[in-house]
Amino acid sequence: MYFALTDEQRALAETVRAFLADRFDLRAVRAVVDDERGDGHPADLWRAIGEQGWLSVCVPQDHGGLGLGLLDAQVIAREFGAGVIPGPWAVTVLAGAAVGRAGTPEQAAAVLGPLGAGELVATVALRGPGGRLGRGGIAVRADAAGRLDGVVSGVEYAHVADVIVVAATEPDAPAGAGAGAGRGEGGVGLYLLERGGAGVRIERQASIDGTTRLAALTLTGAPAARLPGSGAAALADLLRRGAVLAAADLVGVARAALTRTVAYDTARVQFGRPVGSFQALAHHLADLHVAVTMAEHAVLYAAHALDEGRPDTDLAVAVAKSKANQAAGDATAAMIQYHGGIGYTWEHDTHFFYKRAKRLVAAFGDTRQHLEQVARLTVDTVG
Amino acid sequence: MAGTRRQDGLDHVDLSYPPQAEEFRDELRAWLAANIPAAWTEPGFWATVGEDEAFDLRRDWERRKALAGFAGIDWPVEYGGRGGTPAMRAIHDSELVRARAPRSVNSLGLVFLAPTVMAVGTPEQKAEIIGPMLRNEVIWCQGFSEPGAGSDLAALRTHGVLDGDEFVVNGQKVWTTFAGRGDRIFTMVRTEPGSSRHRGLSLLLIDMHAPGVEVRPIRQMSGVSEFGEVFLTDVRVPASQCLGGIGNGWATAMLLLSFERGAAGISQYTAYRQAYDEIVRVARALGRDGDPVLRQELARRRVELECLRYQAMHVLTEVEQGRDLGAASSVTKLQWSQAYQGLFETFDELLGADVALLRPTADLDLTALRQESFWTRSVTIWGGSSQVQRTIVAERVLGLPRGS
Repeated sequence: MYFALTDEQRALAETVRAFLADRFDLRAVRAVVDDERGDGHPADLWRAIGEQGWLSVCVPQDHGGLGLGLLDAQVIAREFGAGVIPGPWAVTVLAGAAVGRAGTPEQAAAVLGPLGAGELVATVALRGPGGRLGRGGIAVRADAAGRLDGVVSGVEYAHVADVIVVAATEPDAPAGAGAGAGRGEGGVGLYLLERGGAGVRIERQASIDGTTRLAALTLTGAPAARLPGSGAAALADLLRRGAVLAAADLVGVARAALTRTVAYDTARVQFGRPVGSFQALAHHLADLHVAVTMAEHAVLYAAHALDEGRPDTDLAVAVAKSKANQAAGDATAAMIQYHGGIGYTWEHDTHFFYKRAKRLVAAFGDTRQHLEQVARLTVDTVG
Repeated sequence: MAGTRRQDGLDHVDLSYPPQAEEFRDELRAWLAANIPAAWTEPGFWATVGEDEAFDLRRDWERRKALAGFAGIDWPVEYGGRGGTPAMRAIHDSELVRARAPRSVNSLGLVFLAPTVMAVGTPEQKAEIIGPMLRNEVIWCQGFSEPGAGSDLAALRTHGVLDGDEFVVNGQKVWTTFAGRGDRIFTMVRTEPGSSRHRGLSLLLIDMHAPGVEVRPIRQMSGVSEFGEVFLTDVRVPASQCLGGIGNGWATAMLLLSFERGAAGISQYTAYRQAYDEIVRVARALGRDGDPVLRQELARRRVELECLRYQAMHVLTEVEQGRDLGAASSVTKLQWSQAYQGLFETFDELLGADVALLRPTADLDLTALRQESFWTRSVTIWGGSSQVQRTIVAERVLGLPRGS
């Protein structure tokens, strides 16, 4: 039994944390947030992330990557959450996983090498306007020739992406698709869309979370390359990975919100004593520590379950995302409350954490969806 | 990306137990299968047996288990233990729950007193106490709480005055589990006249059959009387029956309480999973398992149970790595007690108006679950209330300033 980060993973977390504190602190984040017209994708940061190897973590070794798992990726995701770091790191990692798992060797070679080196930005486009996550929420159709028509909403960093993995419904299984793809799995596929292709319109969407830029895609007969190994299973896999990375970011946000609030309430004096010495605050912050700790465990477990293909992976992912949602929602709301009036200002950093959590809580499955998944797996299966 | 994982052993998360521990599991499982009467494994069986009879059955059964070598799993062999690992202890506890074995009647002795005696007891105390406890020949009670000293243990007033080589002890203890059935009680006593708070205390080992010891049962809200009051009137206790040194009682008590390592979390998860599944069956029997709101509530409870399991694995890892747990036991206590209590709040909710009935339908007997539901009201109080635990987490983990 060993259920903890390894020394190497702890060291990785320390490295990321120290790097971000030194090179991209909250002042740098604020500059991105306030530059509303900017692309939200600081070039220096991206280059450094590539140099550090944090994009190659999940890239297989035969494509020049480190060939590690989601367990290692979630270490980085947590630190990015704790620093409310802007940029397309998580979606690039996700898109890389989709191409690596469902693409042809040629597709994988073309994408994963540059991706791991930080020379390529990628993202995923999975959900139509107002749609739920999953096949039912997709508003893009593919024809037999691989041309895409439809719309996608809330795509992270589509405006700077070199490649976009698009989920599309399919009228019928494409001829020659591998076993398990296409027909019988709900008629859905993942398609690789290249930057600057015909029939692609990308429009920035205003977002509540200034640390993360979103865009809408409008596709009109856009030619795209199907990932031949994709189907409902590949989409589900992508959603699971997305949920774990989002949950990891959320526990990073939650832990940072809690730590910063404790620091503030240790220093802030009212009624002649630090406000953190009042039980009304202290006990709630203790409860939040328990919740955040549980969410950290749950993310670790889910990442491990996915890496190892454990039979309880679906449950583990749903537990991790719903618990991370709760912990981060509560911790960031408490952060505002326990900073008092200053916590409600634009000038203070609290809203970066609150808004990032608000976006991520609903990304890759909101709490209701994941709890219903838990119910399907634990209520409906009792003998 | 299968086959691309780095093979240098960087990914160390490993949820398996070593082969030696799994062999132990198989051996124990086989023994349990052969030695637990079938009737006992029916959910709700123990609610149908009288309290005295149940105690005797449990006491004798646990003794047989000890004689078969399945006790003191992680104790050194020299004390009659098995010399096993913390993982084997966790497996033992969990397998007992899984097999629906009765709970221990001597757990306060086994979990708390025995390791304390091993650490600070005299050779005579070690010889006298540990073996008979392991075989259930002596049932141990704990005498810490008093009417005026609940969460604030240092406010205790039971006092002992040295008279020759004996203490003469007077006072009152309360919330004593199995008070009416215990043989001996490890008791916090103020042995320095005029001392206050945590100074001048001693941990005395008192014979409950001695003159001057009177026990009165307390009937709990569930209707059963597991707890009791213990009145001590001029009870003579040999000074040799002080554990950890006269006047050193506070340090000895803190050592004793530190043996609640939270490694029990894995067996608690197993037990609460059984309760969860039972509750789901009730929901189904009443046609309420399709209600979307109840499904969300059940799922929320299940999430907390899974988190308890992760926390238990985390604690077991820390123990096995020899790391300092710090205040992790407070985190564990908050998580298990609130997850457990919350699960039964959802049980009550899903019953609707049937919450008032022990048998809402002819073939649905909720007596055992009802008792368990009432029991969960106590778990956020004893063993350090949730409020005490939150203060510990706030001050010792988060480093918040102490309240004035």
